[in-house]
Amino acid sequence: MAKQYDVLFRLLLLGDSGVGKTCLLCRFTDNEFHPSHISTIGVDFKMKTLLIDGIKVRIQIWDTAGQERYQTITKQYYRRAQGIFLVYDITSERSFQHIMKWASDVDEYAPDNIQKILVGNKSDEEEKRQVATEQGNKLAMAYGMDFFETSAFTNHNITESFTRLAEQVLVANKKDLDLLRMSVTDELNLAALEEEEGITDGTDATEKSCWC
Amino acid sequence: MVVSRLLGLVECTKEHALFVFTHRRMAIMGDDVTLDGIIPISSDFAVVEVTSPDELVVVGGDTRVMLNFEDGELEVRLPFGSHSRLFLSEVNRAWCNVCMSPGTAPKFEWLHKYRRATKGQSVVKETLEHLGTTRTRISQHKNTGRSLKTDFRALEPEDQSGYSGPDLQSIEASPDRQRKVKPGGWEDLKPEGRDDLVRHSSHTASNKATMLAMPQFGLRDNLIRCELLKNEDVYTYLENFNFFLGTYNVNGQTPKESLHPWLSSISTPPDMYCVGFQELDLSKEAFFFNDTPKETEWLKAVSEGLHPNAKYALVKLVRLVGIMLLFYVKKEHAEHISEVEAETVGTGVMGRMGNKGAVAIRFRFHNSDICVVNSHLAAHTEEYERRNQDYKDICSRLLFSSHHPNMTPLTIMKHNVVLWMGDLNYRLSDLDVENVKELIAKKDFETLHTYDQLKRQMDEEAVFVGFEEGAINFLPTYKYDTGSDQWDTSEKCRVPAWCDRILWRGKHVHQLHYQSHMTLKTSDHKPVSSILEIGIKLVNEEAYKKTFEEIVRSLDKMENECIPSVTLSRREFQFKDVKFMQHQAETLTLYNDGQVPCQFEFIQKLDEPTYCKPWLTANPNKGFIAQGGTVDIDLEVFVNRSTATELNTGRQQIEDILVLHLERGKDYFLSVSGNYLPSCFGSPIQTLCQLRDPIRDMSLENIRVLTSLGDETSVSTIDNALDIPKEIWQMVDHLYRNATKQGELFQQPGLRSEFQEIRDCLDTGMPDSLPGSNHSVAEALLLFLDALPEPVVPFSLYQQCLECCSNPSQCKKVVSSLPQCHKNVFNYLAAFLRELLKHSAHNGLDANILATIFAALLLRSPTKQDLAEKRKTQEFVQHFLVQDLS
Repeated sequence: MAKQYDVLFRLLLLGDSGVGKTCLLCRFTDNEFHPSHISTIGVDFKMKTLLIDGIKVRIQIWDTAGQERYQTITKQYYRRAQGIFLVYDITSERSFQHIMKWASDVDEYAPDNIQKILVGNKSDEEEKRQVATEQGNKLAMAYGMDFFETSAFTNHNITESFTRLAEQVLVANKKDLDLLRMSVTDELNLAALEEEEGITDGTDATEKSCWC
Repeated sequence: MVVSRLLGLVECTKEHALFVFTHRRMAIMGDDVTLDGIIPISSDFAVVEVTSPDELVVVGGDTRVMLNFEDGELEVRLPFGSHSRLFLSEVNRAWCNVCMSPGTAPKFEWLHKYRRATKGQSVVKETLEHLGTTRTRISQHKNTGRSLKTDFRALEPEDQSGYSGPDLQSIEASPDRQRKVKPGGWEDLKPEGRDDLVRHSSHTASNKATMLAMPQFGLRDNLIRCELLKNEDVYTYLENFNFFLGTYNVNGQTPKESLHPWLSSISTPPDMYCVGFQELDLSKEAFFFNDTPKETEWLKAVSEGLHPNAKYALVKLVRLVGIMLLFYVKKEHAEHISEVEAETVGTGVMGRMGNKGAVAIRFRFHNSDICVVNSHLAAHTEEYERRNQDYKDICSRLLFSSHHPNMTPLTIMKHNVVLWMGDLNYRLSDLDVENVKELIAKKDFETLHTYDQLKRQMDEEAVFVGFEEGAINFLPTYKYDTGSDQWDTSEKCRVPAWCDRILWRGKHVHQLHYQSHMTLKTSDHKPVSSILEIGIKLVNEEAYKKTFEEIVRSLDKMENECIPSVTLSRREFQFKDVKFMQHQAETLTLYNDGQVPCQFEFIQKLDEPTYCKPWLTANPNKGFIAQGGTVDIDLEVFVNRSTATELNTGRQQIEDILVLHLERGKDYFLSVSGNYLPSCFGSPIQTLCQLRDPIRDMSLENIRVLTSLGDETSVSTIDNALDIPKEIWQMVDHLYRNATKQGELFQQPGLRSEFQEIRDCLDTGMPDSLPGSNHSVAEALLLFLDALPEPVVPFSLYQQCLECCSNPSQCKKVVSSLPQCHKNVFNYLAAFLRELLKHSAHNGLDANILATIFAALLLRSPTKQDLAEKRKTQEFVQHFLVQDLS
């Protein structure tokens, strides 16, 4: 039986200008890749629905301007996010070093239970690599984050990284979700008086598949 | 006004009310809270969540609900979280209870003792009135009701009267503090915290709360369902299942013999059993009370008669008086049966009663929707049209309430497969009984069929349109002498007929057999059975998942395409050589390249009071663009006296970032930059006294240093300082030489273009003498004085001037206490004005006029000036115009 509800999250892409935030988003939502770099000047977003353990998770992904002069403005968007991608470019040592700055901004401006994930983009450009995978791993470990090397160009690890962050957000908000879900199920039970079996079966199944 | 309150749901004698409490600090003890008002949950009560359907729902925000009650309404913000949800669902349940028993309206007698208002404690009352309600009754708290939460029980011992008012006052006085919320029944009416600036900015104000989308997202689910249905072929395949269908008019008898011959005559056990009975019970009790012991008897007989080589589960039993339908499935199929529903329709006496009519069971098996109908239609040979009518009534009146609340009820014909059985009561007409029996004896069923009313009516498409029936190769099933295979020997001697039939409608149905069972002799009818092999749609999980994901993807795409979007003609705006009071504008063109109309607005940034710097305006700063439409926005820069000072010193630059927000869409950043040419306008007197050269020849650094020096030290200590700013001298000297006899001086406006030339001349020293008319120079002087960050009489002395305005010598004293350069300027201007007054015969000026004009510039109020103050400043200045007090 189709689920009567959806879950909606906001995820934010952060990182220096040119690391490929917009490309990650385009690849993920539209499965497209545009090689030319047009700076995002502002804050853009796209919707995407993921199926995670049978739950329809709708995520709203915000793509932010990476340029330094806009950073004070983009900070005001952190507060509304549940998950954050910290993105650097493996061919740019500088963008990797700035992750620390981005991370500390996130700590300062984002909600406490924000979920973070580290992404080293442009993994296809091996010959220009300046940041070793091991370095990314280490940093992610230090921050207690998951780490992915991705390529928007070859579509490497794109779905994986987005799904992982969405899963983390789900888990982090599990408690609230569970309770909300219960109250919604109550209403459903009232609405469908006849079909005792169907509803209870369905709920049990959901319980199992979602959270355990 | 938003204030903090606690809400409690109180139950007493099965009635509910919301108690609103004021509270002190964390409200730990009973005496920390005070009853503020009571909202009884009557049928007039309603609680509605305040969210508009198109808002995006976001985790973590407050839940806003509107409480409506008998004589008011109240908006309540509940902190995010499950306890708030739980609370609301409890409130809702309480209200539902009231609505479900309309006969017993709650009286709320138990509330009287709380409502005996204590007069004089109006603080609370006012507050609630502010909140939009007139109902407030205050009383000491006493909790006799069952409290919803354990926290609430902390109040139980509080049964004392007369709490003290002042405590309450202090609570009211600090509504800014956000209060912590205890998990449980306590709810906060939270003030909008200043710390939550993001929520403050207008574009996020609408972001509301829950993680689970509320019913508005049902639309999306319906879309998905629709699309899934459309693409069903892609992810389903057919598999055959055998359905046993049996119909038996038992003529009110109890089961006396095994039903095996009827139900299990075939070798392979069927997958499903649909067994229909008619005339199960002909008693009055059954007819009037729809209650009969025969139900269990026949159920038992059927259960025992099912095929012995398989296990079956009874899924559903439905009965209307004597019409009963049983639905069994083989155990292994049970998990694929869903959405089972049963309905009945009576078409008997008065067209409603249950002696005739139909019962039906619908269910979903794998991905196929199947409906089984068992009907008993009107009797008597000549009544075939009545039977047709019964069929139509059944089809139109039998509705299954839908599983999906947003969809319309299901009719019989909406199912993939309809199986219809029963005593349809169609007879053989136009043949007498002898002829019929003769044809039967010859087994000439083919000839007999041409006299069968059902076949005739179906050929005429008068009934059962779209249904099929297999060939009948069995004896008519009606009417026998009970207990025998003898045709009716009664007086009526009825003509034999095929009353009992089995039909189907739908694709992929194949009949394996269709027969009657002569060995059963309980009734005056013989039972009929049929095995239908039905192609059922099974889901290929892999393909289903793929299809589902594709649908979701295309919906996402659609949604993303519908996000409002515009293109901007430019992102960067450069304002070159911005000058004091010289307007510059650049045009930004917005083109709505999205698929929906959009609303745009410049929004403020974190920690900033407005959407842009004070020297900048966007015109218009919000608006609407139709799809494909354009809007021109003028970005205008204008530096006036309030912004000039900071720009002169370089403490501020012509630099700003604007955030252009699209409602429910993206944000665009616009950069504004430029350079400002420093001017004597808006510069402090001290600084100007330091400048021997024109201000534009100075470096910004120098100006800044000089300005800060001027702030800290007395100018007189600095060597080479001018007595007065040379710019004042230049303007006054010009007027002195050219305009002493000029009529309307300081009263007629100058030309803006000339002012700009004068300003440039003062700021650059070029040309040597001031250009423009006398009026323009006069106006420039006034503007200069007006733009001084610190007026000639500094703000700090303003009050003193007002106090001594009627006393010339006191006034003189004040002026002599001015900082040196200010004093110089004051005296210099006063001398000049006195000079002008000497020529009043020509220029028409008098002391009164000049005092009015100059008092407003020399003595500016740090705050807003009233008329009396204005008069005093004029009086002050006038002393210096009539006599030389220096």
